[in-house]
Amino acid sequence: MSQIFNPNPTIFAPVKSSKASSDYLWVTDPLESNLDGEEVDSEEPIDQDEIFDLIRSISDPEHPNSLEELRVVSAPQITITGNCVNVEFTPTVPHCGMSTLIGLSIRVRLLRALPNRFKIDITLKPGSHQSELAVNKQLNDKERVAAALENPVLVQTVEQTLVNASLRGQPAED
Amino acid sequence: MASTSSTAADSVEQLVTTWMVSGRDEELAAAVAEVSEGRLLGVVKALGTYLTSEQDDLRTKGVDFLATIITRCPQNALNRQSVKVLTAFFCDKLDDTETIVPALKGLASLPPICSSSDALVMINAIFAHVKMRALVQSVRFHVFTIIDGLIANHRETLKGMKKDFIAPYISLAEGEKDPRNLLVAFAIARVILIEFDPTDHVEALSNIVFCYFPITFRAPANDPYGITPEDLRIALRRCLNAHPGFGPIAIPIFLEKLAAGSPAIKRDTLQTMTECFSVYGPVFLRTAARKLWNAVKLEIFQPTDSATEEAALAAMQALVVTIHAEDDAQDEDLQGLARDACEECIGILREPEKSQAKPAIKVLCAFMSTTPSVSRYTLAHAVPHLLKLFADPNEVPSRHPILLLLSDLIAAARDSANAKSTPEEPMSDSTPEPPLAPFKDEVLGALISGVVTLAITRAALAGLTGLVSTPHLLSDAELGFVVLKVNDVLETCLDEEHSDDRSAILKLLMIISSTAPAHVREQTLPLLLGSLPASAPPREAVAARARYQHVLSALSTLCGPPPLFETLVAALLPRLTAIAFAPSAESDGAADDPELRAAYLHALLAALKRALEGKVDEGHTDVAAYADTLVPALYGLCVRAALRGGPAAREPRVVGVVGEIVGLVVQSTAPARQQAFAVVLFPAFLSGKIAPLCAAEHVSIEDTFFPFAADATTAERNLLVLFEAGVVPLHPSVTIDADINACTETILVQGLAHTDTDRQAEAVFRTVGSIVNKHVDELGPFLEHKTTVYWAERIQDPAGTPAQRRQAIRVWTWLCKALLVRSHPRALPAIDRLFEVFGDATIGTDAAKAFGDIAAADGVLTKRNAAVVRFLWAQKFATGMLPRLMGGARNESDPALQHANLIALTALIKAIPNAAYAHEMAQLLPLLLRALLLPDAQIRANVIETLLAAAAQHKSTHAVLAEHAPALTRQMLAYTKPGAPVTSTRIRISALRYLGVLPAVVRYDVLHPVKAEVLRELAAALDDPRRGVRREAVDARFVVVSSLCSARLIGVRAGKYGA
Repeated sequence: MSQIFNPNPTIFAPVKSSKASSDYLWVTDPLESNLDGEEVDSEEPIDQDEIFDLIRSISDPEHPNSLEELRVVSAPQITITGNCVNVEFTPTVPHCGMSTLIGLSIRVRLLRALPNRFKIDITLKPGSHQSELAVNKQLNDKERVAAALENPVLVQTVEQTLVNASLRGQPAED
Repeated sequence: MASTSSTAADSVEQLVTTWMVSGRDEELAAAVAEVSEGRLLGVVKALGTYLTSEQDDLRTKGVDFLATIITRCPQNALNRQSVKVLTAFFCDKLDDTETIVPALKGLASLPPICSSSDALVMINAIFAHVKMRALVQSVRFHVFTIIDGLIANHRETLKGMKKDFIAPYISLAEGEKDPRNLLVAFAIARVILIEFDPTDHVEALSNIVFCYFPITFRAPANDPYGITPEDLRIALRRCLNAHPGFGPIAIPIFLEKLAAGSPAIKRDTLQTMTECFSVYGPVFLRTAARKLWNAVKLEIFQPTDSATEEAALAAMQALVVTIHAEDDAQDEDLQGLARDACEECIGILREPEKSQAKPAIKVLCAFMSTTPSVSRYTLAHAVPHLLKLFADPNEVPSRHPILLLLSDLIAAARDSANAKSTPEEPMSDSTPEPPLAPFKDEVLGALISGVVTLAITRAALAGLTGLVSTPHLLSDAELGFVVLKVNDVLETCLDEEHSDDRSAILKLLMIISSTAPAHVREQTLPLLLGSLPASAPPREAVAARARYQHVLSALSTLCGPPPLFETLVAALLPRLTAIAFAPSAESDGAADDPELRAAYLHALLAALKRALEGKVDEGHTDVAAYADTLVPALYGLCVRAALRGGPAAREPRVVGVVGEIVGLVVQSTAPARQQAFAVVLFPAFLSGKIAPLCAAEHVSIEDTFFPFAADATTAERNLLVLFEAGVVPLHPSVTIDADINACTETILVQGLAHTDTDRQAEAVFRTVGSIVNKHVDELGPFLEHKTTVYWAERIQDPAGTPAQRRQAIRVWTWLCKALLVRSHPRALPAIDRLFEVFGDATIGTDAAKAFGDIAAADGVLTKRNAAVVRFLWAQKFATGMLPRLMGGARNESDPALQHANLIALTALIKAIPNAAYAHEMAQLLPLLLRALLLPDAQIRANVIETLLAAAAQHKSTHAVLAEHAPALTRQMLAYTKPGAPVTSTRIRISALRYLGVLPAVVRYDVLHPVKAEVLRELAAALDDPRRGVRREAVDARFVVVSSLCSARLIGVRAGKYGA
């Protein structure tokens, strides 16, 4: 853990938080409009922005930044087809030894936050890592993931990265 | 005479003897009184044998008695001679191990009254006989107190002793450990260091000071002296920075602690360094500068936390200020630390996109508020460097971070100039040139070229904001140029994707308009107004509609300052008329939909309202003037539409927002002007004399308008809202009508007789409520009629139709509320009558819900509307009402009554702040749980929200919650299902929030039995059709998983990888 793989990573500006587009005819007070009304039965399916919101604020194990700020994850790298979710992520350097840990954090977050019906695939961005195949294999092998989650030290580290995950791209309050 | 004195002597002797045996306080007090009257000698005589006794314990007791008396008696009771004798006596006793403790106690009160020769005797005796290591803490405290007293009262004498004082004192103070003694010791050490001449003893003194650094003392749980580590830290710091000679000793210690310490120690070290540097002096610090910079730098570039980082920056500033204080070198000549550090940081800035660039720019920014020469040097190197990078074609991808760094620098330059100019001479005209002035043109050029490049607009805007907020930097013409360029960007940012850019631009423009509104008025407003469409865009043109909404929100943000608002009103009024009454254009074909026009009209009016709200909040005085222009125009617009057609302006929502605007303006006018307004307003609605109220352009004298009449159209009656808007803000001193009783009765009866929408009826209730609140003393007959006839006929009589009776309950609610808000004696009896109809099958529930409406806050009876409002009226009402309702809700004799009480209870609780019922929570909780079962979605959601608020705010309720937690949890889980029989998004969201709050509130063992169930059910809630619900489910599950699962991932594994 003591080895720093990328001591000075590039920080990117966070993208705007996704908002519902305002194609309403009447300008209404946002406070009044949403809650108390009768049940509008329009279904809002889970989309890539919602999944991105779930994982954008996971902390990097190596730096005090979120995965979003380091551009490890981004909304276009998430695809949903039926009940399959594919999350692609990009390590900051090709020799990043933290890739499996980052992948594991994303997996744990999604396991907890998505309904059981989804199958989740987590892969490295093609060509972004020197041992891409090995990492992909490790992240998507359920026996290996289960085994990793038996390891208390590892689980502790994963929990640590997930502490801020509920911020969803909002800045932390002090 | 002789006999009295001998009896006195006998009595004193008796006193002493008694005390020796009993040790009681009475004898002591008597002896103190004796001494206070100048008879010390008698007491000493009486003590004589004990003071010199051969028996150790008697001697100790004797000296202790004397010492206690001396400590307690007033200082003027002892004369010079007796002080001298006492000093000599106690000093003598220091030699004796049995009496040293009481002798020190006696000496402790003498320094303020003894002579300087006594002081010498005292200090020498202490140095000669006192062995600190042999004494306990409280006695050592006496020693320190004596020395502290001597230093305070006989400083010159002690100074004269020179090394004979300092050296023995050092050996005396060495090895002290107790915090209380240390506080005194540090104070003594500081005086010695500053006032005595310690040059030869610096090393030795450092031994009794530096061994305590850093303070790691932690106060024990119930420390009687209440000494905090912070007290010690500050006292010690005042020693460390007391002598310049400490420098060479201190710096290695500081560096060592900084490298090895915990975050708290690091912070302490940095703060201490900050305070010490100026004392240690530039000559020494220059030699240590390199090492210090390297150590402090580490805390800035790899900070442990933000507080440490800040402390490190402050330490570095102090270092630079000390080293470069006297050096007035011109730019290029600057040598030493600042130059090296600057070059190092600029070196790091060669890669502006990297994470280390941020701390580097922080260092440079911190340099800006040190000395003028350093600040000049920093700017002269950093700004051109960043500008060069910006111009470099290879660095185009990094332009965003470059501009961000530049804007940090601009802001720092601005703040440093502000910090220097404000405290000294705020009025001075000869303001110094802003530090950034030499680079103004280049920086402005770069920022302007950045602002028009889409990808880096935001960073450039941050820089421009810094520039324009620097006083005296940009000329008027340059500000105009900035506005011009920014306008171009604004034009491209009027869609949804650029909302962040847009708000940054608006912020910039608002700063400019606070100093130079003319530019914004002449350049930006025409641009924005021009981009509003002339008529409402067709229904499918979503983008065009979003665009005009953005334009309008920009306008309402910008138009706060009076000249801008004036322009806005002048531009919007004709446009409103045009949209409301323009004949449908042929070119639009059949697409001329009145709803579209109404929506556009509404959007324009809402923008006006938002701007006005901002102005009212900021207390602008020009608002009142719009009573003469804007108000008649708007009344005219609506009345004309109601009378002669113009479907857009008839729309109730449009009328509603017009009402709000009217209300805001009337609120802001003086009572005299309100009176003039009332004289026109009441006849306009009640007697048909509408013309004087409205702008002549819209309404002529022949128009007749009787909204209260039976044959009035719906559109006319909708304008009752505008009547309400005019009446509600009127001051109590404004006369309503010659016969106010008849007038109010007319409004109520005529108004309600023909209403065809709820909003119309609501307008009547509110109008009447406001009048009753302000004029209750004149309304005796009106209220009398209500409580007798009206109550009996309209509410109690079951013959009335349900709708009528419900309406009457609403009237009653508003009357009660108007009286209650001002704590009128009629209020409570009127509210009590509601209980009479609790059992009524038709209106029982309505009467119960009225309790919530009565206690709830509303927009009518407020201070702003000049209503008579008593402090904490809702709390008082709730305190009085709760026990009765709770009793009723528990009483099972009549289910209907019980049901009504329960509803009233939940309605009331929802309406009042939860501090008002927190003390009842233990009794309330079971009732609330029962109310959760009522099949009414709104009540259910109210109850859950009440529970949420209670859990979050009142620790006292947690024990009660724990008792019901498992039942509550299951109940809430049932409510999270989207298919539950009575449900709404609101219920599901608040139920999930509650589940997320519970683990923090209730002990783990209480929730253990339901853990598996919670995790399973929450997993199902993750699949809710509504996004807002899913979001809460994720958060609730996160809380539950991390707080309930000690073997963390059990939930996940059970779901996914379980057997």
